[in-house]
Amino acid sequence: MAVTSPQDRNARVGALLARVALGDQAAFAEFYEVTSSHLYGVALRILRDGPAAEEILQEAYVNVWHHAASYEAAKSQPMTWLTSIVRNRCLDQLRRREIDTISLTPDDDDAAAYDPPSDAMTPGEMLLAGAAARSVRDCVETLDAGPRQAIALAFYQGLSHAELATHLRQPLGTVKSWVRRGLERLKSCLDRAGFGRDA
Amino acid sequence: MNLSRPDRLARLDALAASYALGTMPARARARLAHVARTDTVVAATIRTWEQRLSPFAEAAPPITPPPRVWKRIALRLGLDAVRPSERGPWWSRLGLWRGLAVASFVAVAALGTTLWMQQQRADEPIVVVLAGQDARPALLATLDRNSRVMTVKTVGGAPVPADRALELWMLPEGAPPRSLGVLPASGVGRVTLPALPDVAFANVPALAVSLEQSGGSTTGAPQGPVLYTGRVERFY
Repeated sequence: MAVTSPQDRNARVGALLARVALGDQAAFAEFYEVTSSHLYGVALRILRDGPAAEEILQEAYVNVWHHAASYEAAKSQPMTWLTSIVRNRCLDQLRRREIDTISLTPDDDDAAAYDPPSDAMTPGEMLLAGAAARSVRDCVETLDAGPRQAIALAFYQGLSHAELATHLRQPLGTVKSWVRRGLERLKSCLDRAGFGRDA
Repeated sequence: MNLSRPDRLARLDALAASYALGTMPARARARLAHVARTDTVVAATIRTWEQRLSPFAEAAPPITPPPRVWKRIALRLGLDAVRPSERGPWWSRLGLWRGLAVASFVAVAALGTTLWMQQQRADEPIVVVLAGQDARPALLATLDRNSRVMTVKTVGGAPVPADRALELWMLPEGAPPRSLGVLPASGVGRVTLPALPDVAFANVPALAVSLEQSGGSTTGAPQGPVLYTGRVERFY
């Protein structure tokens, strides 16, 4: 199925944001139509909690309505800006939640409440799918399986170092170094390919 | 710690990476976000990492949020207070859809198919694109052949005033319109058919939407103007 390219979507979202900044309600409704399922997917994968993800989305859109004018097109792509707002709010909440519950022993209730979205793709496959551009894909493929999976799980599902260690059955030090070195390698490779410079 | 000093840049880059990826623990996150509010070098380093990782964010499959999310946003921001452009006197209740030019129908059907493809709802092969006289789609109704529950999504059209409501009608051949219920002012609504679609739509070539008092028509027939009409299309 033909999917709108990230460039097309960014252009459309950017144009809508400009109208939202002027208080255009129809543009805001369209902006929601175009962006909400992407952002909800991002939030739901990280929080694994529908109501919490809905709450984050509501806050994000209310904020966009009030502060659309503060978006600076020169500094970041609109979808990156939006995704970062939502991801950062989700991660803040997730990491705080871990502090709040750190003294509790994990129990079966938590396991029952865990309801990850039934994605057709694994995080590792998403990482590769994101590498639609040949050069980005080459960069992902330079990563070994372990670091690649660690980065994908952290990025898409918000796993902490400790959770990665448990999930991947590796010592904490190993996953930390996988993530650190994997990111360094991605950075130098992507930067060589011309990605990741200021938008 | 001044993270912007040259000798700290490598450290800052690692911190920004960990922040953007999400592995950074809560307290460090809060500290770095706080610093980034006033330190433009820190803010730019985080942004560059977010941009670097953005192709990967694009790839995650979208998940449609429940309709209540938009409803709550619209409610909190008071977005329903806009008045639509005034419509003329009300049009004939029956057979209105027949009055539209064939060309409009073709255009609307093509648009509808595109919209429908965008929904990625291949499991809902019955599609009705409800459009106004300008042939621009306002509502998109989709339905599974084996379900009585029809999804109706706002894709355009004029905003609905707070004291009015949109009501959806079946337009049976040779019979008066039959109400399918009141739709939400925006976002996604669901209406239940009296029977499975093959039966319920057997003699119903088209649907219409009228503008009514809140709560809908009180007489069982459209009382307000008919805003949108659309032909029932079957993709199976």
